Amino acid sequence: MRLRPGSEELAPVSARFPAATTATVAGTALHSRRRRRSWHRRALPVAAPYALLLPTAGVIAAVLGYPLYLLVKLSFQKYGLFELVRHKGHYIGTANYARILHDSQFWTVLGRTVLFTAVNVALTLVLGTAIALLLVRLGRFMRVVLTTGLVLVWATPVVVAVDLWRWMVDYEFGVANWTLTKLHFGNFLHHDWFANPWTGFGVITALIVWGAIPFVTITVYAGLSQVPQELIEAAQIDGATSLGVFREITLPLLKPIFVILASLSIIWDFQVFNQIWIMLDERPTSDYFLMSIYSFVESFRISEYGLGSAIAVVMVLFMLGITFVYVRQMVRIGEVQ
Amino acid sequence: MRLRILAAAIAAVALAVAASTAAGGTSARGSAAATKITVWLQNDAQTGWPEIVAAATKAFQAKHPGVDVDVQYQTWGTHLTKLDAALAGGDAPDVIEMGNTEMTKYMAAGAFRQLTRSNYPNAKTWLQGLADSCTFNGKTYGVPYYAGARAVIYRKDMYRKAGIKKTPTSLAQFNADGKKLIKRFGKDRNFSALYFPGKYWYASMSFVYDYGGRIAVLKGGKWQGALNSKASLAGLNALAATVKAQSRANKTGDEANPQQALVFAKGKVASFIGNGWEWPYALDPKVGNPALAPAVGAYPMPSHVKGRFMPSFLGGSDLAIPITSQQVALAADWIKAFTSTESERNLATQGKVIANTTTLAAINASNPQLAPFARAAKFSWFVPTTPNWANVENADVLQNMLVSIFTGRASVQKAANSASSQITRILNAGS
Repeated sequence: MRLRPGSEELAPVSARFPAATTATVAGTALHSRRRRRSWHRRALPVAAPYALLLPTAGVIAAVLGYPLYLLVKLSFQKYGLFELVRHKGHYIGTANYARILHDSQFWTVLGRTVLFTAVNVALTLVLGTAIALLLVRLGRFMRVVLTTGLVLVWATPVVVAVDLWRWMVDYEFGVANWTLTKLHFGNFLHHDWFANPWTGFGVITALIVWGAIPFVTITVYAGLSQVPQELIEAAQIDGATSLGVFREITLPLLKPIFVILASLSIIWDFQVFNQIWIMLDERPTSDYFLMSIYSFVESFRISEYGLGSAIAVVMVLFMLGITFVYVRQMVRIGEVQ
Repeated sequence: MRLRILAAAIAAVALAVAASTAAGGTSARGSAAATKITVWLQNDAQTGWPEIVAAATKAFQAKHPGVDVDVQYQTWGTHLTKLDAALAGGDAPDVIEMGNTEMTKYMAAGAFRQLTRSNYPNAKTWLQGLADSCTFNGKTYGVPYYAGARAVIYRKDMYRKAGIKKTPTSLAQFNADGKKLIKRFGKDRNFSALYFPGKYWYASMSFVYDYGGRIAVLKGGKWQGALNSKASLAGLNALAATVKAQSRANKTGDEANPQQALVFAKGKVASFIGNGWEWPYALDPKVGNPALAPAVGAYPMPSHVKGRFMPSFLGGSDLAIPITSQQVALAADWIKAFTSTESERNLATQGKVIANTTTLAAINASNPQLAPFARAAKFSWFVPTTPNWANVENADVLQNMLVSIFTGRASVQKAANSASSQITRILNAGS
């Protein structure tokens, strides 16, 4: 019985989690209750929150809403170079969408993107959590060393990081080929990691997971430090193994954090662009097209801006579809409080 | 309390409005400043002949004192993306260098100002191939800048050591010599008899054209990809065999990353197929190796038919004035200064490229460093001239095919079929 904390126990613990998103959601829920109470008493303060929201809403509308509106508008237009020069496209209904959905390349790219996202998110979460668990057990010195390393990775700008990795796996001068050859893993001189898309995506996945781990680790570590020590000790007295403790206590308690991390990771990995683009000299072959690159190539390389926009819209809708489940769960967690 | 909130809200709104008007203000600058023109040149000029650019600007400024010339160097891979964005934003440069294969798409879209051909230096004697690339529906939209053809740039000392007495006169001989070179130097895994990166489509298509193949043919008003024709396949197979036997260059790399001339300068490459300007670039004391100077030579790439050359891609650049330019007269004057007879002569002698006018052809022929390239230029091939061609280039159709072939991801036949159908689709896309 003590191994399975009930929801009464779960709620107050997770309320103390530092994750900003949960806090915001909880805050909104709390706030709406208070607002309902005051509704009868004073009418004027009701307007104040909205007035305060106005600047933010305005900025969001300007920097997010308007471009999105343009994107959707473009996706229903024929908009090539001819139209671009004249700043005027013409409406062609859903022709762009029909063309994408009948293009086998689109489906290949979509499938590849989904697989890529799944692998990257899974690796990021598993490895990130494992390192966080390690951090808890480490002595002070090693913890500082490891945390510093993680923060340094986090602080490396994407372009710099990609260039570093590109040099490591470089065809002529890469240290990866040199090391593998010296360690007698075979002859890796002039080994081209990108000749085979599987090893190519292996390198890209390593780069992306490497870059994403610090955020996951540090967030999970922060969450772990909030898990009540008494619960763990009690479980251990009852004879739980460390795996049991993790599965029965840590995991349920940290679920809100994992939900947020998973949904953020999905959003990030689904739209990976820079890493592949820079790694492959801004001209990736079609084997390396993910949705974002496919959309960019159709727009900016082929000058089919309408078609490229349609791909982008489909991509946004698809991502909304995946993350909807998570977002709903996140909001529910907030409502419980 | 309430008042303070209201005041804060008003202040925030006011700030947001102010910010947006400030942003609006910056976009209006184009027409006001008549004291500056912006020029986009490719980085070839930056590495090969920056002093000729500076001289042209000086000559221009003698006529227009006080007018700034902002030369911004671009790279071939991304300059069209930037141009598209700049055209959409109305912020395009006043003069832009375009590859001759890129012109048609933009001329057809109305992206460039029409020019009066007779106003420009040597207009009557422009190289025909370049002048054609500046013409659309009988109207002129660009000024030829320079041309280039590719030849084999090689190490005389290595050839000698491998027992090669004279440069090859057939593809079979070229491959036999390659074998000798690999035998002599090939123990070093970094050595290439012919350095040939996988995405190098300009040199690759020469094989196709040499065997009588084509990239695409016009049939009854419709374009048809022709890389899977019998002749094209023969060329691609010969290419695959040559590259496999002689090159250890990156199969997924291209000729500019790293610059093949600089790989050559490192001393582990016996030959590569390069432009005239890549010869001096390999010897540049800043980035290359000047010690190689006495050992470097060049000859046109031999054909599979003994005694003939392979057709070389007639590359080149044109200068155009984007439609959004507010300084058309100044832009035209800068182009005139940059393509003057003197400037073009310097391009030929110092830049080692082929000048835009036939009147300077003698310079090319008399210079041993230019003659092989000038000879190669006489027998050339060019891409299909249709507005949609640039899309084939930009979609990397040929590069994808070559990488598939060289890495063995697909057979020559399969890769050529796939590329051909893509080319057919892109070239016939409605415009």
